[in-house]
Amino acid sequence: MARAFKSTLRGISASLEAAERKLLRGLFQDVITLLEPERAADEDPLWAMVGLDPHAHRADFAPPSDPATKRLLPDADPDDAAASLEFRRLSERGIRERKIGALREAALLMESGTILLSDETAPRFAAAVNDVRLVLAQRLGLATEEDAERIHAQDDWSKAETVDEYLALVYNFVTWLQESLMQAMLKSL
Amino acid sequence: MTAMPDVLEHVEQAQAHELDQPYLLIIWNDPVNLMSYVSYVFRSYFGYPEAKAEKLMMQVHQEGRSVVATGNREKIEADVSAMHGFGLWATLSKADAA
Repeated sequence: MARAFKSTLRGISASLEAAERKLLRGLFQDVITLLEPERAADEDPLWAMVGLDPHAHRADFAPPSDPATKRLLPDADPDDAAASLEFRRLSERGIRERKIGALREAALLMESGTILLSDETAPRFAAAVNDVRLVLAQRLGLATEEDAERIHAQDDWSKAETVDEYLALVYNFVTWLQESLMQAMLKSL
Repeated sequence: MTAMPDVLEHVEQAQAHELDQPYLLIIWNDPVNLMSYVSYVFRSYFGYPEAKAEKLMMQVHQEGRSVVATGNREKIEADVSAMHGFGLWATLSKADAA
């Protein structure tokens, strides 16, 4: 059984069972896959390093088509499609790279049963966990406060029969973990 | 690199005018982001005191949106990028249009 995040003398720490860590690592990997830009084999790695996208200037450059990816990378100016696209050309690749960096770091932290976060790593871990929840919520069709309450009420793993029921329990577990992390982080601010 | 001085000056004036326009950073409510997470982001990123962060967070939650920062376009674009990095639903808007 997992022990929630707590503020300790050494940092913010939690302990997770092997199955829970495997589940979380898989979720972090899934979101990395969503965010990884399709990259030509011969692309100069310098583009990724500076956070720019060599395709961003192309005429067919467009917002993400997958709704979960679009939620992670929303339009900056919903009243101005051209300005939103220009913002994407300049910053989307950088945001993707930052998110992927945090998600990779979070996946690596799942190697050990005790998760210990420093003041520096905690915000990146929180953001990675939050991105996982945003993607799960999109897959679950969680759009309103009522949906959130309905999903939150599901708590019995033995009764989960459908993919959505299982996803709802996973979502609730990740939510519980993030809430405990945020309480610990707010305490040490 | 070189440019005709009269052309260069004209461009710089146009940009300066654009930069004077105050822009708003708007955070929108969604049923996923935790209230504790939103408060944490407002406190840690903007350096807002706890009371101000809580007030803005509750405004997002209850009214559906809140203006959490203002500034020139460059600053607000950087804020939007940072908020998207955190996973908050952030947009920018011209002050007179909002």
